Amino acid sequence: MDNEAIRLMEVDEDVLAHLKTGDRLTIRGEKAESAVLCTTSQTFDIKEAETSNSLLMVPTCIFPDSLEDGEDKIIYRQVCAVLHDYLELKPCKPRLRKLRHLLEENTYCGKAYEGDEGHRGSKYTFPDLCQLVQASDAEIQHAINALPVCDIDGYVRLLDFDYLQRVLFSIADLVTENSWSLDSVPLNICLEELHELYPKDVIKRVLEFYGNRQNKVPKGKMNTGPSGDNGDGAIYKLDEDKVCRFFAEVFLRPTEKFNFKEFLQTWQDSVPEGMNTSLHQIEGLALVDRSSKPEVVKFFPVEDMPEEIGDRFDHLFRAREKWTLEDIRPYIIDLTTDKTGVSALLTKYARASLQNGIKVYNSRKPLS
Amino acid sequence: MVHMVVQIPGSPDACPDWAMIELQGDLQSRQDNSLHSKFIGDLHFTKKGVPVLIIGHHILYGKIVTLEKPFVVMSKNINTKANDSMETDQEMDMQKPKGIDYLVKAIVKKKLVFKTRPKPIIANVPRKI
Repeated sequence: MDNEAIRLMEVDEDVLAHLKTGDRLTIRGEKAESAVLCTTSQTFDIKEAETSNSLLMVPTCIFPDSLEDGEDKIIYRQVCAVLHDYLELKPCKPRLRKLRHLLEENTYCGKAYEGDEGHRGSKYTFPDLCQLVQASDAEIQHAINALPVCDIDGYVRLLDFDYLQRVLFSIADLVTENSWSLDSVPLNICLEELHELYPKDVIKRVLEFYGNRQNKVPKGKMNTGPSGDNGDGAIYKLDEDKVCRFFAEVFLRPTEKFNFKEFLQTWQDSVPEGMNTSLHQIEGLALVDRSSKPEVVKFFPVEDMPEEIGDRFDHLFRAREKWTLEDIRPYIIDLTTDKTGVSALLTKYARASLQNGIKVYNSRKPLS
Repeated sequence: MVHMVVQIPGSPDACPDWAMIELQGDLQSRQDNSLHSKFIGDLHFTKKGVPVLIIGHHILYGKIVTLEKPFVVMSKNINTKANDSMETDQEMDMQKPKGIDYLVKAIVKKKLVFKTRPKPIIANVPRKI
């Protein structure tokens, strides 16, 4: 009998189903305390549970349904272990902050810079990232798709912001020069015109990220370039919200504060003709301070904020003492789960009060 | 960074069901500390399917409980891909699955729970002496 060799783990039907199809589960973690268990698509916190009861493990069936009624038999069964603890699984959010940190170690700024000092950091392939990030493969893939990331020579590379700006501006210039409609930007011409400046994969990825692939070629449009069947004949519709948000970031990043009125004007003037800017596009990216005179807007991206709920709220309340629901919502929505919504989070981590007839939230504890 | 694989080795359908008996408290041996190879007790089932456990001179009544969340029994696999460099023990390599760190040996879906206080079994004492 060997109590050391065996571990019990409580699983739900989902995890069991995964195992029964032959799938592998992985335990990923930095230290034992913060380990997570991942199926192909979900992440769970692993906790050790102790019980004062004794759990006797018997490697065979001992239940009456396997015996015939009335039979007088003595069957010998061995208890192979007596346990007092087991592992519990609790579904949790994937820990993806690290993914961004890893990708930021060596962002892509163009072929010319690849060998230089700023680019000696580690590069990671998708399997590398799966080994290092505490999340299931599917969740990691999903997170990568949501970032301006490009596969370059087999490595997953985050496109540097300034570099991205140049690529997107080049595409925007082409749109203006050729008088294309924002709804039909042809990939093949972009590749033709720009491939000497940027790798084709990058151009394609930028169009995919800031646009939506269209299935049909609009009537009356001339396709001057070769429309091969290699997917290069694709047409993209530029996504107004994503493009405008990007342009807002271009202005906000380098400055600490921007005069709100001036920002709005500059922002609208900068976006491609035909696009309209709107405040909802900068939710989770910028914060408007209406209490200052003049009103200002500052760069305040949610991606740079702590992942852990308590830390996130502390960070937000340090930046601003009182928040309206409308203002704080974009900064906590990524923390919600199926069970816990925005209201539930606020009830737990903030204190509500009325200010000038409007409901505001502030911290539950004193902050330095 | 820890990265361990948990998997059912071989055919997942062939993964056996184990049983589990839950007792309040600890089992102790009269002679020494080890329970190894020691007889524990007798398990009976009444006609109605109630499990009865006799340990020493105590009798316990329990019930069969289907677990809300099943358990899996895992054992650590010592011969994983990290040991590939040891080519001497070819036979052992072939038996133990590579690349798996925790083997799922069995699934536990039901348990016998004994939560009532053990009653001592007293031999029949005649009323009249």
